[in-house]
Amino acid sequence: MKRWFEPRRLGELAPLPRALVHGALLAWTFVVFFPLYWVLVTSFKEPLQVADGPVFLPFVDFQPSLHAWKYILVETGRDTLRPYLNSMLIASLSTLLAVAIGSMAAYALTRIVYRPSVAAVLLFIASVAAVVALVLGAGLSLGWALPLGAMLFVLGLRPLQRRITARLGNDDILFWMISQRILPPVVSAIPVYVMFQQVHLLDTQFALIVTYMTANLPIVVWLMVDFFDGIPRELEESAALDGASRFRILFDLMLPLARPGLVATTLLVLILSWNEYLLALFLSTANAQTMPLLVAAQNATRGPQWWTMSVLILLMIVPVVVMTLFLQKFIARGLLTGAVKG
Amino acid sequence: MNRRSISLWATVACAAAIGMPGAQAQTKAYAGVTLNVMTFTGPQIAEPLQRRGKEFEAATGAKVNVITVPYSDLYQKLLTDWSTGTNSIDAAILAPQWMPDYVGFLEDLSPRVKADTKLREDDVAPFFREFSQKYGGKTYTVTLDGDFHIAYYRTDVLAKLGRKPPQTWDEYLDIAKAAHGKDFGDGKPIVGSCIAKKRNAQSFWMITSVAGAFLQAKGTSEGAFFDPATMKPLVNNDAFARALEIYKETGKYGPPNEINMDVGDTRTLFVSGGCALTVDWGDIGPLAVDPKASKVVDKVGALMLPGTTRVLDRASGKLVACDATRCPHAVNGVNRAPFAAFGGWSGAINAKAKPQAKDAAYALFSYMSQPEQSNADVTVGATGFNPYRQSQFKDMGPWKKAGMSDKAAKDYLGAIQDSLNSPNMVLDLRIPFNQRYQQVALDTAMARFLAGELDVKGTMKNIEDTWNELNDELGKAKQQAAYKASIGAK
Amino acid sequence: MRRPGDDPVSPATVASRIDIRATTPTRSPDANPGSRAADWLDRQAGTIFIAPAVTVVLLFSIFPLLASAWLSLTRFSLQAGGYELSFVGALNYRKLIAGSQQFHLLGTAGEMAAGTWVALVAAHALLAWALLRSLRRRQAYAQAAPRAPQAATAVLTLACGLVAALLSPLGPFAAAAQSARDALDLPWFAWLLIAFAVLVVAAVAARALGAPARISGLVGRQLAGSVWLLVALVAAGTAGGQQGSLLTTLFYVVGGVALQFALGLGLALLCAQPIRGRNLFRLSFFLPLMVTPVGIAYMFRMLADMGVGPFAPVARLLGLGAVTWAQNAWSARWVVLAGDTWQWVPFIFIVLLAAIEGQPRDQLEAAQLDGAPSWRIFRDITWPAIAPTAAAVVLIRLIEAFKIVDLPNVLTNGGPGIATESMTLHAFIDWRSLNLGGSAAVAYLLLLVSTLMAVSFFHFVVRPARGEPAA
Repeated sequence: MKRWFEPRRLGELAPLPRALVHGALLAWTFVVFFPLYWVLVTSFKEPLQVADGPVFLPFVDFQPSLHAWKYILVETGRDTLRPYLNSMLIASLSTLLAVAIGSMAAYALTRIVYRPSVAAVLLFIASVAAVVALVLGAGLSLGWALPLGAMLFVLGLRPLQRRITARLGNDDILFWMISQRILPPVVSAIPVYVMFQQVHLLDTQFALIVTYMTANLPIVVWLMVDFFDGIPRELEESAALDGASRFRILFDLMLPLARPGLVATTLLVLILSWNEYLLALFLSTANAQTMPLLVAAQNATRGPQWWTMSVLILLMIVPVVVMTLFLQKFIARGLLTGAVKG
Repeated sequence: MNRRSISLWATVACAAAIGMPGAQAQTKAYAGVTLNVMTFTGPQIAEPLQRRGKEFEAATGAKVNVITVPYSDLYQKLLTDWSTGTNSIDAAILAPQWMPDYVGFLEDLSPRVKADTKLREDDVAPFFREFSQKYGGKTYTVTLDGDFHIAYYRTDVLAKLGRKPPQTWDEYLDIAKAAHGKDFGDGKPIVGSCIAKKRNAQSFWMITSVAGAFLQAKGTSEGAFFDPATMKPLVNNDAFARALEIYKETGKYGPPNEINMDVGDTRTLFVSGGCALTVDWGDIGPLAVDPKASKVVDKVGALMLPGTTRVLDRASGKLVACDATRCPHAVNGVNRAPFAAFGGWSGAINAKAKPQAKDAAYALFSYMSQPEQSNADVTVGATGFNPYRQSQFKDMGPWKKAGMSDKAAKDYLGAIQDSLNSPNMVLDLRIPFNQRYQQVALDTAMARFLAGELDVKGTMKNIEDTWNELNDELGKAKQQAAYKASIGAK
Repeated sequence: MRRPGDDPVSPATVASRIDIRATTPTRSPDANPGSRAADWLDRQAGTIFIAPAVTVVLLFSIFPLLASAWLSLTRFSLQAGGYELSFVGALNYRKLIAGSQQFHLLGTAGEMAAGTWVALVAAHALLAWALLRSLRRRQAYAQAAPRAPQAATAVLTLACGLVAALLSPLGPFAAAAQSARDALDLPWFAWLLIAFAVLVVAAVAARALGAPARISGLVGRQLAGSVWLLVALVAAGTAGGQQGSLLTTLFYVVGGVALQFALGLGLALLCAQPIRGRNLFRLSFFLPLMVTPVGIAYMFRMLADMGVGPFAPVARLLGLGAVTWAQNAWSARWVVLAGDTWQWVPFIFIVLLAAIEGQPRDQLEAAQLDGAPSWRIFRDITWPAIAPTAAAVVLIRLIEAFKIVDLPNVLTNGGPGIATESMTLHAFIDWRSLNLGGSAAVAYLLLLVSTLMAVSFFHFVVRPARGEPAA
C-alpha cells in the first residue's frame, strides 16, 4: 500500500498521485473534447436529425450525410475559399507585425528607463482633440487641421513643460498600453470605420491587418515584459561588455532566450486575430471578408443552420491546430537560465 | 430608364449572339455596368438574387455582384455604408420596416414604377402596393416577398380532438390546453403552442400579433400602436392587458424553454412534430412539405391570425363587444387583424448610386418581381420568398409540384389570401427610431414580463412611459406626423 | 507572493537597470568613424525600440477614444443623405444612472434582508482590511516610522463610506441621500466635486495621522474604495430585486476569472508534472481557444438546449425535464459563465504553463532531493516564480472579461428579462437600434469601472507580485 505513495524514481510521481493526475487530466480532456465532438457529429446530420433529439454515434444512431460539407465546400466553395485565404493572410501578417513591434517595445520597457513628461502627454491629447474638433465640428479638411494641431503641440510644449514638471514612468506606459484593450470594440468600431473611410482603405486586407496589429500590440507588450523580466541581466551585461550593440543583444540573445514566452504570445495573438468578428464585420464588405463572418452568417432567417455552421467551425480550427502542432515544441523547452541563476 | 421588357432584350441579345458574337456588347442595355447588391447570407433571398442576377447579366450585360453579410448585421452594414458616404453598395434587398431610417438614402421609385407595365403592380396585393412599398406617399421599394404572421395548426391533432381551427384567441388557448402533453401517435408528447418568446428576437412582433385584433378594427389607418389623433400609446388599456394575459398563458401550454426560443427554434419544433399550434411567418408552409426537414408532411393547416369578439374602445380604454359600427371588417362577428410583421423583403436602390447603376438595379428588381419570375420563386421554400401577388394564388400547379397536397395548398394559400385581402391589416411601426420603440422598449418590457419581473399593470405602465419619453425626446409632433403618414390616417 | 524584506527590488536594483542616458559605448576610442554612427544608433536604441509601438497605439486609439466620448454626449439621428449628432450633454448618463434606464444598468431595488445588511458591513470591513494591508506594505517598503496606520485606515474607510452613501443612486441610503441632495439643490456635478473634496480632506487627515503614502496615493486608494462601496450598495439594494447589467458584468468578471484562474493554474501544474502523454494533454487543452468566439457561443447554445441537445437525456434522467435553466436569472448566468470558462481556461493555462516551465530548475531539483512535499515546493518556489506572470495574465483576462458579449448574446439574447446582459451586450443592443449616444455612454461607464478595477488590481496585486510596492 505504501508503494502507491512512493515514487519509483527521483523526479517521477508516486503511482497513486500519478493515477490521480492522469484522471484529472483525462476528465478535463473530456470536457474539452465533448463539445467539439458534438460539433463534428452535427456537421454530418440532416436538419431533422438535429431537431428530433440528440443522436450521438454516426452509423449507430443515425445515418451520416454529407450535405452540409457539400454545400460549404462545393456549392459555395468559392464563397468559402475567399474568406479562408483572407483570414490566413490577415491573421499571420498582423501577428508577425504585432509580435515584432511588441517584443521590441517590451524589451525596451524592461531594460530602459523612460520618463515621458505629463505635459507632453496632455498636450498631445489636446492637440488631437483640437484636430478632431476642427474636422468634425468646423468642417475643416484634414490637410488644414493636421498642421494646425501639430503647430499647437510644438509651440505649446516648452511652456507647458516648464509649468508641469511631473513625469511618468515605465509602469505608466505599460498600463496605458494594456488599457487600450478596455474600451469595447463596439464603441470604437464606427470611429475606426470613419478613419479608414477617409483614406479610402475600406474593405481591404491592409485595413484589417493594421487594425488587428494595433489591437493586439498591448497584449504582446504586456506578456513579453514578464518573460523578459525573468531573464537575468548578467547575460546581457556580459554581452554588452563584449561590445555587442543593443540591437544585437535583442535579436541574438534575448529573443532566443525568451522563446517559450515568445511562441506562446505569438500563438495567442494569432488566435485572437484569426477569431475576431466585430471589426472584421465593419471594415470588410466583399473583398476582405473573413471566416468568423461566414460562421455568424449561418444564423439566417430560418434559424441557425447548425450543420453548415459546424462545418465552418471545424474548417476554422484546422489551420490553428496545424500552427500549434508546429510551434508547441518551442513552448515545452525549458530555459537554460537554470544554469546561470544561483 | 429602360421601359422595354427584359425578355424582349433577351430575345434580341440571343438573336444577336447567334448571328454576330462581336456585336453582342453593343446590343445589351447595361453592358459594362457593375451592380453591387447587398442582402443577408442565404440561401434564402440571396440564392434567388444570385440566380436571377445571372439571368439578368446574360440578358443585359450588367454584372450583378451579390454581397452578403450576417442577417443580424445587415441593417447596420447598409446604414453605415450609406450614411457615411461610402456608397459602395448600389442596391439592397431589405425590410420595409427599416424605411423610416433609410428613407433619406433611398431613390424615389414612383416614376419608374408608374411607367413600368411589365411589373404588373395591379397584381400586387393592395396592402403591399399602398402601404409596404410607400413612405410619405412615394414608392421606395419593389416588393419581392410577402411577409406576415399566420397561425398554423396540426390537422391531425385538431381532428383527433374534434376541434375546428381557432378563430379567436380564446379558442386558440382552448385547443392548446387540450392538446398539451398528449401523445398523438408518434410516441412523444406534444406541446400545445409554440411562440417565439426569446428576448431580442421576435417576441415584440408576436405580442402585436396577439394584441392587433383587440386594438384595431376599423382598418389599417386606425393604427394599432398609437392613437393617430393624440399620439397616445395604445398599450395601457384593458385590451392590451388581455393580450398580455393571453400571451403569458400560451406559455403555460408551451415547451419548457419557450422563453429562450426564437422563431428558428419554434419553427423547427413545429415541423418536427413537437407543437400543436404556432404563430409564424409564411415559411412553415413550404418547410412542412420538405421531407428532409419535416415530420408533419401533409399534416399542417394554416389560417389567418385569430381575432376577438371584443375590441378596444379608445375613449374609455375598456373592451367592448363587436358590432357593425365598431368592427366593420369583422368576419362572423370576429374582428381579425393580420399583422404584416417586418414587411417582406423588398428591393431598394441607393439614391447616390450612379445613374446607370440605378437603372440597372431597377430593371433587376422589376425582373425579379414580374409574375413570370416571381410566381415560380414563391413556390420554392428555399428562396425565402412568400406569396404577395393575386396571381400566385390562382394556379395550384407549382405548389403541388413543390410537394403540397391539394388540401394543404388550398389551406396555406387561403390563409395568406385572406390576410392579404383583409382591409384591417396591421402595418408594422414605421416612424423614425421605430427600433427603439419596438426592439428596445417593447421587447425589454416583454422579456421582463415573461420572466416575472413585472406584472401586467407594471409592464403596460413601463411601455407607456418609455414610449412617451421617446416621443418627447424625439419630438412628439414630428413622430405623430410620420405615424399618420405611414398608415394613411387623416 | 514575495514579502517585503526578502529580496526586494530596491532603488539600487532599479538604478542598475541600464539608464539610456548614462550608457556609453564600450568600444575603444580609436574605432573607425563608421562605428560612431553605430554608436549613435545604439544610443537611440531606446527610442527606436519603443517608438513604433507607441506611435501605432497612439494613432489608432486616441481618435476612437475621443470620438466615442463625444458620441456619448450626443443624440444620433439619421437625416436625408447623412446623419446628425445633436449635443444633449449628460442626458445619456443621467438616464442610465438615475433615469428611465436605471433598471437596465443598475437594477431594480428590492427588500433588504438581514443577510444583505451583514454582507454590506462585511464589504466595508473588507475595504478597511485592504487599506490597512496596503498601508502596511507601503510602510515596510518605505522603512517609515513604525506608527500603526489603523487610525489613518479608519479615517479613509469612513470617508469612502460617506462618499458612497452620498452619491449612491440605488440602495439602502439612496432615498435619504436623494432628499439630502434635494435639500441643497445643487447641480449634479457639484456633488461630484463635493465628494472629491471630502476624499482630499480625508487624505490630508490620514497623512497627518501618519499614513506612509503620498496624498495622491491616498486619494487614489479612496477613489477605488468609494467605487467599491458604491457597487456594494447597489448590489445590496438590488439583492432582493433584479440586478442590472453592471452587476451581471461584475459577476462574469470576478466569478469567471477566479474560476478560470483556479482551473488554469491547476491544469498547468498538473501538466508540468512528469507524466506520460504530457504533450498530448497540452495540445488538447489548448483547443478551446482555437475556436472562434461566435462559434463557441453557437456551440454552447446547441449543448445547453435541454430539449434536443446532447444533455437532454441526462436532464430527463435527473427529472429536470420541466425545469429550464433559461427561465431563472442565476442559472442562466451560470450557463453563460460555464461557456466563458470553457473558452478561456486555455489562455491562462498556456501562459502559466510557460511560466512554470521557466522557473529556476536548480532550486526545484534541490528541493525535490531534500524530499520536500509538493505543496511546500509550490508555495515557496513555484508560486513566487510565477506570481508576476500570473498577475499579468489575470489582469489581461480581467480586462477581456469585461467585454463578454458573444455568449450572452447567442445563448439568451440577454434574457430572461435582462438577467444575462453584460454591459458590452447592453451597449451592443443600444448600438444596434441606433442609440449611438446611449451605447457610447454605457461603454464609457464600462471603461470607468474596468479601468478602476484594472488600476487597483495593477497597483495592489501586480506590482507587489513583482516585488515593487504600491504607490
